Amino acid sequence: MAIKSPLYKIQERLGAKFTEFAGFEMPLQYSSIKEEHLTVRRSVGLFDVSHMSNVWITGKDAMKLLSLTTVADVPKIGENQSQYTILLRENGTVIDDTIFMNLGDKYMIIPNAGMSIIVTKWLNEKAKEFKLDAKVVDVSRDFVILAVQGPHSREVLQKLTKIDMNNIKFFGCQYGEIAGVECIISHTGYTGELGFELQITPTKKAEIVFNKILEAGKEFGIKPIGLGARDTLRLEKCFILAGNEFEGGRTPLEATLSWTIHWDHEFIGKQAILKQKEKGDFDRLTCLECVDKGIPRHGCEVQKDGKKIGAVTSGTLSPCLNIGIAMGYVRYDSREPGSFLDIIVRDKPIKTKVVKPPFVPKDWASKN
Amino acid sequence: MEIPGLIIMGDEVRNNLKYTGTHEWLKLSGENAKIGITDHAQSELTDIVFVELPQVGKEVKKGEEICVVESVKSVSEIYAPVSGKIVNVNKKLEDTPEIINKNPYDDGWLVEIKVKDKSEINSLLDPESYKKII
Repeated sequence: MAIKSPLYKIQERLGAKFTEFAGFEMPLQYSSIKEEHLTVRRSVGLFDVSHMSNVWITGKDAMKLLSLTTVADVPKIGENQSQYTILLRENGTVIDDTIFMNLGDKYMIIPNAGMSIIVTKWLNEKAKEFKLDAKVVDVSRDFVILAVQGPHSREVLQKLTKIDMNNIKFFGCQYGEIAGVECIISHTGYTGELGFELQITPTKKAEIVFNKILEAGKEFGIKPIGLGARDTLRLEKCFILAGNEFEGGRTPLEATLSWTIHWDHEFIGKQAILKQKEKGDFDRLTCLECVDKGIPRHGCEVQKDGKKIGAVTSGTLSPCLNIGIAMGYVRYDSREPGSFLDIIVRDKPIKTKVVKPPFVPKDWASKN
Repeated sequence: MEIPGLIIMGDEVRNNLKYTGTHEWLKLSGENAKIGITDHAQSELTDIVFVELPQVGKEVKKGEEICVVESVKSVSEIYAPVSGKIVNVNKKLEDTPEIINKNPYDDGWLVEIKVKDKSEINSLLDPESYKKII
């Protein structure tokens, strides 16, 4: 049976329609995906993302363990800073992408929904294998995660805390009280807008924070936002959804995540991706914008001159642009920005253009 | 506390229409029948953003897929409530598919079929029976 968020009851009262995602029953939408999407782009929205995981890494070798198992330059990330990174298998494929937070005496990582057991086991195994003094504990069910996202998110949270929210820099993180409840506050998100995420424990205190944020955001027209808009918001910014874009085993080079790799350190999977890098002839994640009407979906074939050269991993209608957009893996020699490819939707080709990410630029809301 | 957001109710069932278990409605006038999706269906889908209409002139059998209605997140096939020939499609939906959300029983109709066998209509649901399944 699907796990319900501790906030399920209030979400039900707010009119949420629920969906199952990676073993969790979470709000898909409250009013309408389009409306929720545009509310986040133009103003502010509140998400419950408790389906995401929480894992503590403690011990004197915690940093070494993270450094060994991720592509990031972990020692560079000081106290109260966080970093987006990926964990690789020995063969170079991605296990999961995650954010890790340096909270001084320990690290917290936020693996994807349904990934906490796999990631925790992997990290504990590696700690043992490399004789590191590090303990990894899955505490996912002890935390509610809220995300406040949108141009007014900082003002909303500022009303509920004594901390100067301006002091929390992009990818900064720290302990602090929101609405009288102790949280880990981070300047992170998955929407491409100004935004913050709150890790709240014990979970029974989350309802107060959830309600207070909705109240404080009223003057800005805040809305609770479901996973439907979360997906369209991230896709407009070409952010990866692990379950879609890593499906079947993809390397960070294929997923165009080279920018996350700190090559100047030893990490699991490094040799494999170095080899792939030398060869160069691998499919790469590509952004495609529809020229014709139609909506590409997960699994649709990508063609050039009638021949298959790739497949869509994520596709939707962009609520901001009102056209179909898609990401998918495409042959390395057929993805020049500006060139045209077909996506096959219900046996019919839809003309699309290869574009550079993101689909929706940062200043979209101020111009539209 | 006031609840932000809008809750779309979608329970209107019109008395002058026939229905299917897959949430299509049918309205017969003369030889032809207009077909669309119900208020319940549009409210379940929300945000209809794309409609793929069939070719005029196409022969369809009862239960066959006649068009596709897409919301942001989902793709739904619409089935012919009766057999016949497509004689008209609602071209307005190509540019403004959202009229199905606003007005599923009038402006938001999908196709018009020349009904082959009117007795097929008798097997469709009456409003009372449809109300029971939504």
